Amino acid sequence: MSESFLVIDDSKLLHQMYRLIFSQGDLAGSTIHYATNGREGYGLLAAHPDLTLVFLDLNMPEMNGLEVLARARAERLHSHVPIVLVTTESSEDDEARGLAVGAWDYLRKPFQPADIQRLVRRARELRRGRGAA
Amino acid sequence: MKAGENPFGDLLQDYIVESLPLAEQVGDAFVELERRWRAGDPGDQVLASVTGSLHTIKGNSAMMGLTPMRDVAHALEDLCGYLARAGASRGDEAAALLVTGGGLLVDLIGSASADTEPGAADQFMARVLGFLGVAPEASAAGPDRRQAERRTQPRAGDTEAASVVRVDFRRLDAMLEVLGEGIIQHSALAELYRRLLRRVGACEELGELDQTVLSLQKTLSRLESTLMETRLLPVSTVFGRFPRMVRDVAHAEGKRVRLEVTGGDTSLDKAVLDRLGEPLLHLLSNAVAHGLELPGDRVRAGKPAEGLLRLQAAAVSGRVAIRVSDDGRGLDQTAIRAKAEALGVDTRAADTAQLHQLVFVAGLSTADRVTTLAGRGMGLDVAANVIHALGGTIEVESRPGQGSAFTLSLPVTLAIVRSLIVEVDRERYAVPLSHVAETVRAEPETIRQINNQGVTQWRGDLIHVADAGAVLGTGKPCEAPRPFYVVMTAGARRRGLLVDRLIGHQDIVVKGLDPALGRPAVVSGTTILGDGRVACILDVVRILEGAAHGN
Ligand SMILES: [Mg+2]
Repeated sequence: MSESFLVIDDSKLLHQMYRLIFSQGDLAGSTIHYATNGREGYGLLAAHPDLTLVFLDLNMPEMNGLEVLARARAERLHSHVPIVLVTTESSEDDEARGLAVGAWDYLRKPFQPADIQRLVRRARELRRGRGAA
Repeated sequence: MKAGENPFGDLLQDYIVESLPLAEQVGDAFVELERRWRAGDPGDQVLASVTGSLHTIKGNSAMMGLTPMRDVAHALEDLCGYLARAGASRGDEAAALLVTGGGLLVDLIGSASADTEPGAADQFMARVLGFLGVAPEASAAGPDRRQAERRTQPRAGDTEAASVVRVDFRRLDAMLEVLGEGIIQHSALAELYRRLLRRVGACEELGELDQTVLSLQKTLSRLESTLMETRLLPVSTVFGRFPRMVRDVAHAEGKRVRLEVTGGDTSLDKAVLDRLGEPLLHLLSNAVAHGLELPGDRVRAGKPAEGLLRLQAAAVSGRVAIRVSDDGRGLDQTAIRAKAEALGVDTRAADTAQLHQLVFVAGLSTADRVTTLAGRGMGLDVAANVIHALGGTIEVESRPGQGSAFTLSLPVTLAIVRSLIVEVDRERYAVPLSHVAETVRAEPETIRQINNQGVTQWRGDLIHVADAGAVLGTGKPCEAPRPFYVVMTAGARRRGLLVDRLIGHQDIVVKGLDPALGRPAVVSGTTILGDGRVACILDVVRILEGAAHGN
């Protein structure tokens, strides 16, 4: 079964960038769901319990990243699905807050394809570990 | 700065498509903010409305490795963060910084595909740092960036349908070119059918061929209309740069102006839009410089100190109407009359409407005072010529003391015809390629004079060759033998036309003729060439018919 990912970002350009990254190497062939705001992203997250990894932009209209994260964790929505908070030259404070609310990790823009690949590898290990347990 | 080495360099066009409208929104908002501050309104919502866009631009630029854009967006974010605080000094200096930065951001992103000078961005950052450094509320820790991070705004475009794709416009131009070739090949096929019919007479197969050629023509014209619709763009793509320019003229003229734009989503063919920017800009700056009064004069006349300038677009019965109106002093009829008389025009019998039309006459349109934009702008007569060449009309209404309104009416789509551009007596003409069989170098010894007409051998037939100067009535005696002739065909008729130069093939946008000029028998319309020159389109059918009757 192919892996699936969720990208929540209000920038279509960023969607294109993720599309490019997910078309390369062993990520090719995976399914990616895209949302352009927090509300839509929350809906997609709720609809897909088996995501390998979620990339969640911090700065977005209609629920920002922190709000999506806080709500998902408060409602115990697929708490096994790792969520990466994506920030833009943001302060460490935001990242700390994100981790406190339940982000699995954070990623700063500008990021490189290798950053995504590394996060995916770690998420797979996490998944395997859970599967074995 | 090129994004070449960046892993996402191929997405540069996508970057521009997404970021430029955001930057324009930001730039417009800063112009609006400056206006509000001057009117004593803190403009908090305006300030808040840009943070999301600035943040997205910053993130996008950083991802693309476009450092100057990232830096300017970042500096503006910092500046806005500071200005959003209570007690910030929201004066002219801050406003000027915001407006400059917004403009710079638009310019940088708009030219992102070219090499960008990082100098302007660095200078701007230094100015912002200087401003924040001396501003009383700027703390040592710098502006609070997290505030910007969290304040988010819903934006248009988020609900864009997934079935919409963005296409580089050059591809549409290329498609148009291919379509043009298809249309020419169809004409060749139709001609071949007629020749076959003459040679072998009617038969079942030829009847089927005729049907096929006919349905091919229908298919091609369907394709043409679909493509024409695809070429439509909202007028906001041109209107976007006006607020900043109006603001610049207003500053230079010491005027206070509020620009109100409506109907930005009205669509026009991109070719029309591309040529509309200059005339509209001229009308707007003209209104600011000459229509609207100085704030003091307005108050004395019982009007608000701030002038109202309106730019409205709307679809009206298959055409697009664009209106530029102001609540200023109106056209100065005395001055128009005086200038017209000075140029020898008798205005004694002219009524108000006729007087107003004189502003479009060359030599009368030039304003007394030179404005900042006049140097690179055009006269009202030139603006009117551009509108006419686009197949449009322009009208003016004006009331003393109440203001003026210029109304443009434009066709939504355009007929585009691939043509051969030739030069005759230093004027350019377009010959639709569907009527061009061949271009031939005219060796003088191959053209004989029979009954005062040039005749030559062409593909085994004798054809007439006429001098283009005589056919077009340029009125100039032919100084030297013209070196080329174009073999024009229409149905079974063909004829050579001697010309001075062959310029090349070009897709031209067909415009109507100015009704005031009447319709010369040999011209079917006009076009504007790439270099801005107006060229007449030859009516080949009529030229060949005329020649047949003349014989
Ligand atoms: Mg964002």
